[in-house]
Amino acid sequence: MVMLSQLQRFTLRDEQGRHARLRDLSVALLDGDYPPVTRLYFLKLNKQRHSLSWEKVKAIDWPSGQIRVASLDESVGESTGSMAKEVLLSDGILDALVLDLQNRRATRANDLWLEENDGNLLLHSADTSFSAMLRRLTGGRLGGIAKNALCDWKYVEFLRGDPEAVRSEAGQHLRISRLPAGEIARLTDSLPYLHAAELITLLADSKAAHTLEAMSPERQLQVFEELDEDQGLRLLALMAPDLATDLVARLQTQAMRHYLERLPRKQAERIIELLRYPENTVGGIMTNDVVYARGSLTVAEARETLRGPLKNPHFVYLIYIVDDESSRRLRGMISLRTLLTADGEPRLEEIMDPYVTTLQPLGGADENAYRVINSHMAALPVVGEEGQLLGVVTVDAAVAQVAPRSWSQRAPRIFT
Amino acid sequence: MKKGPQPHGLEPLDVADANYLLDIPRSIPTGLRVNIRGRSVNLRGLRRNPTGIWRWLVILGPGLIATSAGNDAGGIATYSQAGAKFGYDLIWVMVILTLSFAVVQEMCARLGAATGRGLLDLIRERFGIGWALFAVGIILIANGGVTVSEFVGIGAAMELLGVSRHVAIPLGAALIWYLVIFGSYANVEKILLLMTLVFFAYPVAAFMAHPRWAEVAQGAFIPKFRSDPAYIFLIVGLLGTTITPYIQIFQQSSLVEKGVARRHYGPERIDAYVGALFSNLMSISMIIATAATLYVVGQREIETAADAARALEPVVGSAATLLFGVGLLGATLLAGAVLPLATAYAVSEVFGVPKGVNLDFRRGKVFFSLFTALIVIGTTLALIPNVPVMRLLVGVQVLNGILLPIILVFILLLINDKRLTGDLKNTRRNNVLAVGTLILITTAVLVMLGGQLLDSLGIQVLGGG
Repeated sequence: MVMLSQLQRFTLRDEQGRHARLRDLSVALLDGDYPPVTRLYFLKLNKQRHSLSWEKVKAIDWPSGQIRVASLDESVGESTGSMAKEVLLSDGILDALVLDLQNRRATRANDLWLEENDGNLLLHSADTSFSAMLRRLTGGRLGGIAKNALCDWKYVEFLRGDPEAVRSEAGQHLRISRLPAGEIARLTDSLPYLHAAELITLLADSKAAHTLEAMSPERQLQVFEELDEDQGLRLLALMAPDLATDLVARLQTQAMRHYLERLPRKQAERIIELLRYPENTVGGIMTNDVVYARGSLTVAEARETLRGPLKNPHFVYLIYIVDDESSRRLRGMISLRTLLTADGEPRLEEIMDPYVTTLQPLGGADENAYRVINSHMAALPVVGEEGQLLGVVTVDAAVAQVAPRSWSQRAPRIFT
Repeated sequence: MKKGPQPHGLEPLDVADANYLLDIPRSIPTGLRVNIRGRSVNLRGLRRNPTGIWRWLVILGPGLIATSAGNDAGGIATYSQAGAKFGYDLIWVMVILTLSFAVVQEMCARLGAATGRGLLDLIRERFGIGWALFAVGIILIANGGVTVSEFVGIGAAMELLGVSRHVAIPLGAALIWYLVIFGSYANVEKILLLMTLVFFAYPVAAFMAHPRWAEVAQGAFIPKFRSDPAYIFLIVGLLGTTITPYIQIFQQSSLVEKGVARRHYGPERIDAYVGALFSNLMSISMIIATAATLYVVGQREIETAADAARALEPVVGSAATLLFGVGLLGATLLAGAVLPLATAYAVSEVFGVPKGVNLDFRRGKVFFSLFTALIVIGTTLALIPNVPVMRLLVGVQVLNGILLPIILVFILLLINDKRLTGDLKNTRRNNVLAVGTLILITTAVLVMLGGQLLDSLGIQVLGGG
């Protein structure tokens, strides 16, 4: 086991007795839990940076601090090619912001711990302790290694801060993608926006869309504008319509039009419909992705009919009963539980709750948000002048509307 | 079923709709009619950017606040000394400095927008832990020292307005602390921006002093060189008090927290330029006000900003003193908030801990604890009688002098790194201006350090700058 700060004092010595000071090492970042060292970097006499492949290493003489190689002449000048899959330990990772997933925080890598394993040198941990700083400043004379301050690299996510650099590299193996979207969004709060955009670029689309939904509006816009157009479209298509609408509403007019022209028709129509309402109205906080069924259907028929419509919407806990699908005039509602547990024969209008508190789309957002919260319902429906179902205001949209700004950005959006 | 009027929300649906019309907001925005997918739709939900004068006002923020904070107690003292000692002769320095100041501040703003990172973040990542700790160590000590002088300034200003410093200093500190701890970034920015309005007290004081405008113009556009050491040291003092590391740190970090991204940077540079211009116009007003009064009556020795305010009273009356007092209060309150914030940003960036006014105390423990500690230490030291504030400020000036050229070199290297800044890299013209500023500042710092060295050896050349 060796710390990078110690390794940087090692020299490369070849069989002809020539030597050079080791400057840096690169690792294959995507190659397993503990990335292996791939190249050794050193300065030649002409001050040009050269590198040798790890395969050229014959042995490491730990006590004397020497890395024995066959010949320094086998080195190559600094590569001008892409380093998308490799990253330098000293120039790239050391001192950079890394995500410590175990402790759910962004921190700086003050030193790096490497371990020799089966002829390879593997990046094992990041040392985030203060003593690592001291160790580096004093050339290893001070600053012991506290193992509890080491972050196992298996649970560390490193980002370059450049969405472009990784655009071609699908990094969907990322460990961070196993965290819930809300936690990823909170973690990205501590990152610069370019790092956050890089992370979104690396995540699978559905996770990226949910993470984007959970970000604060300002951060969401910063990140979205750094994505390439295709990914932007895919994420907008996957986002809940009301949250996608909030994002689209903040784009420049030209970009907004461009996205709405290219989005899948159904999602574009939903967003356009929601964009018709001012932001301080009920329509401005409602979602129109709701599940509804004709009252004349029997419970058994409804179960069959609704199997498809229930697949996508975020909010499925209440099913609204309408007179027919074209006019969508609201008659009542039933819960998903009732639909699943009731006998199959009765018609929906026989078992529905006909007394539904409804909201008007141009009503004020704040006062109606309080009505939703005070109702202790998961949502209240929004109906138009003819009584047609337009959408619902969910309780979390209502809470986000009236909560203090510092809290509302972190309020969970479970239903939408 | 019950008959008659029913409570809201319990009506059968077919009679209910009319009731809800009660909730309709008084005015519905016009919206924007857009043709999408071959259909013309009126979109009222779009979040439109402000237009007209508001478009420009919303841009103002980090730049104006950071540069105005530079006109703090120490700054007011230096500008007043310049006016009292040499009349209008030093205004040209401020005219040249405005350009340099604007260039440096704009580079920091651009660096923040291009990278989304603070200055100390970038120094740590690009130049390593040694330089980052060196810079943050100096920042911590120097800013701590200046913070004490700001709270002394709050006390002095309130005493001019007839309030005891024992009440004023803790009250001012508590206000600043409450604002930052419990406010969001947007609110803190608004209040700090409002505080910059008090600087208008200085142009009013300048007009009240009835200066000779022809001489002012001459002083502004015709440089005068003198071999008098006091004159040279005052030029150095003007430079040092105008361009200070904490101003650059605050500008960049707060711009990052404001959320300015590289794609929207264009208009944001106005903030940096307006800030530099506004701040230096206020400084020039201070020089004019004291030049037209104290210099004319031969009262040349001014040590602090409060001295300047008091000295104005017999010459132009109590209104000018009051204006200087109000200006000093606003300036020191502003700097009293900005300095601890800049320090907290810098330390958090170097150690990679969460930072920002938008965080709550639980998530930003280090950031807010450091901010609180600086306020408490500043207040406590400012309340202790006979703390040698002027000697403290001289020490701080030396530290800032050592750090400033280094910080400027870092800024120049960072802004010219295409991997970091991409299209927002410095242009050739920017580089010429920035290198010119660097040479100017390095020369000034060497002169200042030489002066301090001779001073400490007992050779008196410093004329009080």
